[in-house]
Amino acid sequence: MKIKLALLMAVALALPTYAMAQEKGGVLNVATIGEPPTLDPMTSTADLVGIVTQHIFETLYTFDKKWGVTPLLAESLPEVSADGKVYTIKLRSGIKFHDGSDMTSEDVVASLNRWVKLASRGKQASGFIDSIAAADASTVTIKLKQPYAPLTSLLAFNNSAAIIIPAKKQADTMTEFVGTGPYMLKERKADQYIQLVRFKDYKPRSGESDGYGGARHQYLDEIRFVPVPDANTRVEAAVSGQYDYVDSLPVESFDKLKASKATQPLLLKPFGYPVFVFNTAEGPAKSLEIRKAIRQALNMEDMLAAAFGSKDFYALDGNIYPAPYSWSTDAGVKGNYNVADPEGAAKAAKAAGYDGKPIRILTSRQYEFHYKMAQVAAEYLKAAGFQVDMQVVDWATLTQRRTDKALWDIYITHSPFLPEPALIGSLAPSSPGWWDTPARKTTVDAFSAEADPKKRIALWADVQKAIYADAPFMKIGDFNAVAAVSTKLKGVDPAPWPYFWNASITK
Amino acid sequence: MIHYILQRCAGMIVVMFLVVTIVFVIVRVTPGDPAAVMLGPDATPQDIAQLRARLGLDQSILMQYLFYIGQLLRGDLGQSIFLNMPVGRALIERAEPTFFLTVFSLAIASVIALPIGIYAAYRRGSFVDQASTTLAMLAASIPSFWLGLILIQFFAVRFGMFPVSGYGGPGASFLTRMYHLTLPAVALGLVSSALILRFTRASMLDVLGDDYIRTARAKGLVERRVILKHALKNALIPILTVLGLTAAVLISGAVVTETVFGLPGVGNLVVSAVLRRDYPVIQGALLVIAGLYVLINFAIDMLYLLVDPRVRY
Repeated sequence: MKIKLALLMAVALALPTYAMAQEKGGVLNVATIGEPPTLDPMTSTADLVGIVTQHIFETLYTFDKKWGVTPLLAESLPEVSADGKVYTIKLRSGIKFHDGSDMTSEDVVASLNRWVKLASRGKQASGFIDSIAAADASTVTIKLKQPYAPLTSLLAFNNSAAIIIPAKKQADTMTEFVGTGPYMLKERKADQYIQLVRFKDYKPRSGESDGYGGARHQYLDEIRFVPVPDANTRVEAAVSGQYDYVDSLPVESFDKLKASKATQPLLLKPFGYPVFVFNTAEGPAKSLEIRKAIRQALNMEDMLAAAFGSKDFYALDGNIYPAPYSWSTDAGVKGNYNVADPEGAAKAAKAAGYDGKPIRILTSRQYEFHYKMAQVAAEYLKAAGFQVDMQVVDWATLTQRRTDKALWDIYITHSPFLPEPALIGSLAPSSPGWWDTPARKTTVDAFSAEADPKKRIALWADVQKAIYADAPFMKIGDFNAVAAVSTKLKGVDPAPWPYFWNASITK
Repeated sequence: MIHYILQRCAGMIVVMFLVVTIVFVIVRVTPGDPAAVMLGPDATPQDIAQLRARLGLDQSILMQYLFYIGQLLRGDLGQSIFLNMPVGRALIERAEPTFFLTVFSLAIASVIALPIGIYAAYRRGSFVDQASTTLAMLAASIPSFWLGLILIQFFAVRFGMFPVSGYGGPGASFLTRMYHLTLPAVALGLVSSALILRFTRASMLDVLGDDYIRTARAKGLVERRVILKHALKNALIPILTVLGLTAAVLISGAVVTETVFGLPGVGNLVVSAVLRRDYPVIQGALLVIAGLYVLINFAIDMLYLLVDPRVRY
């Protein structure tokens, strides 16, 4: 009787596990917003490139669920010398590339050298790096000229990424896509599909999965990324169940997706923030007082409502990072965000000597919410007595024009919440906007040099204060992203760069 | 005849040279930068400048033009900046969906438009005539992308009969690929049928009042023979012209329809290339499209010889 009872209990305990277990096999079809401009994630900061290639290539580190840096190809987090200038990185053993060769420190050194030469984020780090060398076959040492705390985050990021590729395949223009990732490239038919298949010699990390880190299970046989550039078609494709995961859907489609039997909406809350970047180098916005007057005029709530409709999809928030990010702080926000005072702004602009020169707002309809926010902002600015010149161009034109100081006063963009604030492009004086004041240098340099995580949080508050004091750019608020997930798909968590190595299909 | 053909060939070369030059200049003076697009939103101006130099875009427009002409004379359309392959290969890869979409759409349009157009002219003023003219006006006014979305809504989402988008996955059979073309071909075919129907009707009306038709009837020929042999043969020239031009438009890529249905055809390639400023692809694709237009026009002129013995070159 006791044996029977024990057996029954064992079965009862095992049942939930069995029911919860993810099935192996199957093909995942992912609808993306278009064809990635390249499959070399070192050479592009585009999110789409990162989304696809993070399955093929891996970095030394990555991010866990709480956006902490966690090892991936490295055995553990780096040993950092007491003066913060020497990073010793132990590599995992038994890692194979998709071409069957073993990963060694030689490959890592060659890859990191390519990264500092070609990648935007690598170049950002290169000014701090003195040397990259192999200490032995499984150890790499990075020596810095001065302490640079964001280094591990830069090494962990999946676009402009420090991917590790074979030492013999380091050409500037990548033609062979050989990584160490859980899936390998089988075929790319541009504008038709990118077909990835399970890499059978993949060696996952042990333990639990944790965000982008931890174990990568490879349940699926294949992942296919299919470009579906038209947003309406993506919505219909999701509702019809043609794709298992559909990326980047208009927020208006949320209810339609909810009513579907084949798919359900996946809300990433919050995803990112729209930004108005000022040209601090030339034109009317060069004057700090005028930048502040423009900010004073704007009603961020109206702009967000116009752009995203329901409060389910946006939040009024002046903190550059929202809660629960550890970087979240309200330093400098009070009295400088969502002031919505066009009359006061008019007086401030007059006092600042505004001469009626049009404020040129450079925006694109590639992202419709940029355009809608620009329209509302223009009305508030007109109410404050500003002349406004809306320049609506396509995204390619915007990315070119914003590099010319003579062509614009405000340009509109957006960003996901990056795991490390030092990755925010507008903090660099070379970034269009050209914020370069003593306050920027003092606060950003102190933040970048500090290694202690707690002290860095306090130092980030100083950077945010400087952002509100100097007004190089304005955060408008937080917004959420909508994707669609098939009811048969398991193991996909909301993420700014969705990943599928832990996903499975229920047959 | 040979003199005419040689003259036309010389004209075609001049047209193509003008196309190459005009497209090259327009593409270069249009704002936008492929390097900025490729490097992404966080690239610095220095990164962009370095990539421009690698791509040869830092050279003067004249130098780039001379280099491009040299490439063309060697039969090379250049290398796509984004696709990592020669432009010629990219175009060949995209030719299949566009070609079959064109064939299917034209077939659908012809099957609908020719009999109805002929019948509407034959029974001028009848209910069929009035209804078909009204429907043709309606079809001509409907944007193909809108019709596409409606078809998707009904036949793909509601009834699940067809896929919403794409051209089949890896290893998709020919039949699967053609199955993916059904809805876009119907959307394009219905819209194209309007123009063909109106031309067919008008052209038939022109000839049905002619003396030789009255003579044929007076001779006691059966009505079907009068319409299909005597009238239709003489009405074919404008119909052929409009069929040829519709084919040219479709071959050059039913740009919007291919985008809506996510078809990897020539139109989609051109749209992507324009959005990314992939200069070599834009130039190569427009050159090939212009070439096709020129050749189709030439072919139509040659076909006139077959259908109308009065035509002499």
